[in-house]
Amino acid sequence: MAQSLAKEFTKGLWAELPPFRLVLGLCPVLAVTKTVENGLGMGIATTFVLVFSNLLVSMLRNVIPTKVRIACYIVIIATFVTIVEFLAQAFAYPLFLALGIFIPLIVVNCIVLGRAEAFASKNTPVMAIADGLGIGIGFTLSLGAIGLVREFLGAGTITIWGGTPVFDMTSVFANFQPFGFMIEAPGAFVALGLMLAVMNLIPSK
Amino acid sequence: MLEALLFMLGIGALCGIVLSLSSKVFYVYEDPRIAQVENNLAGANCGGCGFAGCSAAAEAIVSGKEAPSLCIINSKEGVEAVSRIMGVDAGSAEPPMSYNMCEGGNRAADKYHYMGVSSCKAMAVVFGGKRVCGVGCIGLGDCVKACKFDAVYMGPDGHPVVIDEKCVGCGACQKSCPKDIIEVKTLTEKLMKFNQKHDPLAPCAQTCPAEINIPRYINQLKNGQYKEAVQTIRMRNPLPLACGRVCPHPCENECRRGVEDEPVSINQLKRFVADYEMNSGSRLPITCAPDTGKKVAVIGGGPAGLSCAFFLRRIGHQVDIFEAMPKLGGIIRYGIPEYRLPKKVLDWEIQGILDLGIKAFTHVRFGEDFGLGSLMASGYNAVFMGIGAWKDYALGIEGEDLDGCYKGIDWLQRFSSGQEMKLGKTAAVVGGGNSAIDCVRTLIRLGLEKVYIVYRRTRNEMPANEVEIVAAEEEGIEFVFLAAPTRVIGDDDGKAIGLEYLKMELGEPDASGRRRPVPVEGSETVLDVDMVISAISQAPDPSFKDKDPHTRMDDLELTRWNTIDSDPATLQSSIPYIFTGGDAATGPALVVDAIGGGRRAARSIDLFLKGEAVVPPKDSLQNKRIHESIFTSVEGIRQIKRAKMPELHVDQRLDSMVEVDLVLPEAEAHREADRCLNCCRICYDPDTDFPIAK
Amino acid sequence: MEYFELAIGCIFINNILLAQFLGNCPFLGTSKKMETAVGMSMAVVFVMVMAGIFTWTVDTYLLKGLGVEYLRTVSFILVIASLVQFVEMFLKKSIPGLYAGLGIFLPLITTNCAVMGACLLNISKEYSFMQALAASFFYAIGFGLALILFAGVRERINLARVPKALQDTSIGLVTAGMIALTFTAFKGMV
Repeated sequence: MAQSLAKEFTKGLWAELPPFRLVLGLCPVLAVTKTVENGLGMGIATTFVLVFSNLLVSMLRNVIPTKVRIACYIVIIATFVTIVEFLAQAFAYPLFLALGIFIPLIVVNCIVLGRAEAFASKNTPVMAIADGLGIGIGFTLSLGAIGLVREFLGAGTITIWGGTPVFDMTSVFANFQPFGFMIEAPGAFVALGLMLAVMNLIPSK
Repeated sequence: MLEALLFMLGIGALCGIVLSLSSKVFYVYEDPRIAQVENNLAGANCGGCGFAGCSAAAEAIVSGKEAPSLCIINSKEGVEAVSRIMGVDAGSAEPPMSYNMCEGGNRAADKYHYMGVSSCKAMAVVFGGKRVCGVGCIGLGDCVKACKFDAVYMGPDGHPVVIDEKCVGCGACQKSCPKDIIEVKTLTEKLMKFNQKHDPLAPCAQTCPAEINIPRYINQLKNGQYKEAVQTIRMRNPLPLACGRVCPHPCENECRRGVEDEPVSINQLKRFVADYEMNSGSRLPITCAPDTGKKVAVIGGGPAGLSCAFFLRRIGHQVDIFEAMPKLGGIIRYGIPEYRLPKKVLDWEIQGILDLGIKAFTHVRFGEDFGLGSLMASGYNAVFMGIGAWKDYALGIEGEDLDGCYKGIDWLQRFSSGQEMKLGKTAAVVGGGNSAIDCVRTLIRLGLEKVYIVYRRTRNEMPANEVEIVAAEEEGIEFVFLAAPTRVIGDDDGKAIGLEYLKMELGEPDASGRRRPVPVEGSETVLDVDMVISAISQAPDPSFKDKDPHTRMDDLELTRWNTIDSDPATLQSSIPYIFTGGDAATGPALVVDAIGGGRRAARSIDLFLKGEAVVPPKDSLQNKRIHESIFTSVEGIRQIKRAKMPELHVDQRLDSMVEVDLVLPEAEAHREADRCLNCCRICYDPDTDFPIAK
Repeated sequence: MEYFELAIGCIFINNILLAQFLGNCPFLGTSKKMETAVGMSMAVVFVMVMAGIFTWTVDTYLLKGLGVEYLRTVSFILVIASLVQFVEMFLKKSIPGLYAGLGIFLPLITTNCAVMGACLLNISKEYSFMQALAASFFYAIGFGLALILFAGVRERINLARVPKALQDTSIGLVTAGMIALTFTAFKGMV
C-alpha cells in the first residue's frame, strides 16, 4: 500500500511529468512563466485544484452516474477553481493580477480533468490525493523550471516570491543586456520546445 | 447566498433538461462500443492523441484504425478496459504483431545515396524511393521513429527488426511506412498470407509451392537461431522433417547462386534445422489463435490433409481428420519407403501436429464407413477432401494381371502396411518417376538378384529426382532406357516369367521440344523376370462418389483424370463447403505441392467459415515469377562447392531399410548457409568484395 | 473602423494562440495534418461565436443581475459544455453533412481554453454585445489562421532532417515560436 502510494506520488514527478512527458496543459505553461514566481504560483494554484478535485471525485466516484460524470467533474473542478480565485485575490493579489484569466482557465486544463477521469474516478481518496499531489508538484516544478530559464535569460533576474528578484545579473555584470525575446510570446514556445528536447535526451524510465 | 444557490440550481437544471431532451430528440444510432470505449478514455478532450476529442478517438479505436493505448493520459486500467471492449487483450484474442516483410535488401548499391533526405516518407514523396527495388525497404527507419514502444530497431544490415515481446500491435510503424513493407498482422493473417506480386521475394521463395520464406530461415540458421528457423518453416510447412527428406526442392532450380555456381542446398538446410528440433528432445511450442467455434472435417490424413488441418487449427478452428488407413501420413507413410523417410521420424512429426488439439479417426473410409451426410449431421461447417491419388494407371498390355504382376503404389502401400507378399528373384519396374525408383530400391533391399527399371525415354527425361536416380544406380539397379513394354509373358500356371518390350529410338522433337521416342519395328526383346511392377502414375480413386449414399455427392464434379474439380486458386469444389487439395486436386504431384495446397484450402475454408467471399488472394503469385527478380547474372560470386549430402555407404544400406540420407553436420550446414546470397527481388549478397555503399 | 481595429487586434496582434497562449493543446494535437487543422478551425469559429453570445448574455443578465459574478467560472463552463453537446447532437441528427466535417471536433472544444478564454476576455474588456460577437468571431479566425499556417509548416517539417531529441512536439513548439515571432511584427499596427 505504502509502496504503491509512493509510486503514484513519484510518477508525477518524473515518468508522467505533465508538460514534458505528457505534453499537456501547455497554455498556462507558456503564458505565465515569464518569471519563476508566476510559474510557481500557477503551479501551486493548479496543485490545489488537482488535489481537492481528485479527492472529491474519488469520494463521490460511486455516487456520480457515469453518463453525466464529465459534467460533474467539471462542476467540481470549477468550484475549486473559484475557491482558488478567492484565495489568490485575498492573499496574493499581485500574483492574482499577473496570472489574470489563467486562474479561471485552470478549469479547462486537461491535466486536471484528465486526472479526475483517468485516476481519481477509479481509486481510493488516499491514492487520489497522492496522485494529485505528485502530478501537481511535478507541474509546479516544471513551471518553475521554465520560468527560471525564461526569466534568467529574458530579464537576467530570478524572482522566487514577493516581486523582488533574489538574483539580478546587473549586480554581477553592470552592462548586462537581457535576451528579451525569451520573455516574449515566441520565446515561450522556443524555450519549452528546447527544454522538451533536452528532456527527450533523458530516458523516461 | 440564496441567489447563488438558486442560480446554480437553475442553470444546472436547465442544462440537464435541455441535454436530456435533445439526446432523445436527436438520437442517432452508433456502434455501442464507441460509447463504451469513450467511457474508458480519459475524457479530458485534450487532443493529445491527435484526434479531435475523446469521442473521435473512441470512434477511431472501434473502427480499428487506432490501438486501445491511443489515449496518452489514460491509466493502465483504462487501456485494459478498452482492450477488453475491443477484444484484443492478449488473453482472449490474438494480438496483432508488427512484421517486416523486406529483409533481403542490404545489397542494393545505392542504399544510402539519398542526397541528404532523412526519412522514408520524404524519400518516397520526393524521389518515389531511390532504392533500385520498386517495392523494398528504404531503410531510413521511419518505422523505428514511429514506434512508441521501442519494439522496432534498425538491424545491422539496415532493415527494421521487430521485437515481438515489446510489440503491442498498435500499427504506428505500418502507418509510417510509405512502402507497405512493415505490416501489423495477426497470427491468422500471417499464416494465411500468400505470395503477392509486390512482395519482396527471393526467386526460391517464389518457386516453393509451399511459399516458405527460404532466405529468412537460412539466415536464421546462419545466426545459430535454429529454433527460429524451424518456426519460420512452420509458418508455411507443418512437415519439415518429411519435406527435408523427400522434397525434390524445386526452389533450388531457381537459386540465383546456381546461375554462376552450384545452387544452395536449401533442402538439406531445412532438414538440418528440422532434425535439430527432433533431436533436441523437446518440441518447440506452436502458437494457435483462440478458438473460433467452427468445426472442419478433413478427409485424408496425407500431406495435404495434415497441412490443411494444421493451419486450420492454428487459426483457431476445430479440426478432425478422417483417415482410411490404420495410420496418418498418407502417401508419405505408405508410398515412401522406410529408407527414405523412417516411420519413427514421421510419427514424431505427425504427433506434433495432433498435439495442437486435432482429433484423428483412422481406419474409416469416406463413402463406406461415413459419408457427407454423417459429416453434416455431426455439425461440421466445411469439409476438406485430401484423398490423394492412389489408383495406379494400368499399362494396358497383355498379361498384366498374371501372377507376379503388381501396380506401383499399391505394392508399396501393401509392403509398408506389412502385408506378406510373394517375392520373385528378378523384377522389372516400369516407369521413370519417383514411385518407380522407390519400388526398385525397395526390391533390391529385399534381396532380389536382379532389378530392372524399364523406361521408354532416356535418363535425361526421367521425372524422378536426380539424387534418387544416382542412388539407384549406385545400388546396382539396371536401367533399361528407350523400352516400351508390349506384354507380360506367363507360364502355364499363370505366373509371370518375362516382360517383352519394344526398343525405341528418339525421333524428331515434339511441341515440347523433347525428342519423341518412336518404336523400332521388330526389336522385341524379353527381360527374364518373375515380377513386373508398373509404376506409371496414378489418379484419385473416384469410387467414394458412388458409394456415398448422400444425394448431394452427385454435385461434386470430377475432372476427366478423376481429380476433384476445383478452382486452382481457391481449391473450392463444385459444392461450396467442400474444398480439396493435394494429389486429389492436382493429380500426382510433390509433397510440398500438397502442403501448399492444404494451406491454400485452409485460407479458403477460413473465408468460407467467416461468411466472406471465397476469392483468390489479390495479385497472387501462384505459379508465377516476378520477372525482375530472375536476374540472369550475379557478379562477384566466388565458386564454392555445394555441401555434399552425407549418406550411408552402399555396402551398408542394401541389406536393410535403414535411412540412407544423413543430416549435414553443423559446421557443414553453416558453411552451406553462408553460400546463400540472401536474394530478394533484386538485391543479392555475393560473398566477395561487392561494393556496398555505406 | 472600430470593428476593423478589433479585427486586426484579435486576429493578429492578440492572436489567441500565439500571443494569448490559449488553446495550445489542440494547437499541437490537431496540427499534424492539414485536413484536421482545417476542420478544427471551422469548428472553433462556430463554437466560439455561439459561446461568446451565450456567455455574454448569461453574464450581463444573470450573473450581474443577481450579483453573483463569482460564479462566472462555474456557469461559463457549464454553459459552454452544454452548448457544445447540444450543437453536436443537433448537427448529428439534422445536418449530418456538416457533422461529418465538424462534428468530431466539437467535444474537443469543450475543454479548449481558447473558447473559455475568449469568453472571459470579452467580459473583462467590457465589450458590448456586438463587440463581443465580433471579437469572438475574430479570435476564432485568428485561431484558425495560426493553426492552418502551423499545420502547413509541420507537414513540411515531417520531410526534414530533425535531430532525434527535437522530433515531433519539440520541433513543433520551436516552429510555433517562429510563427509567433512573425506575428509580433503586427504589433503597433493599431
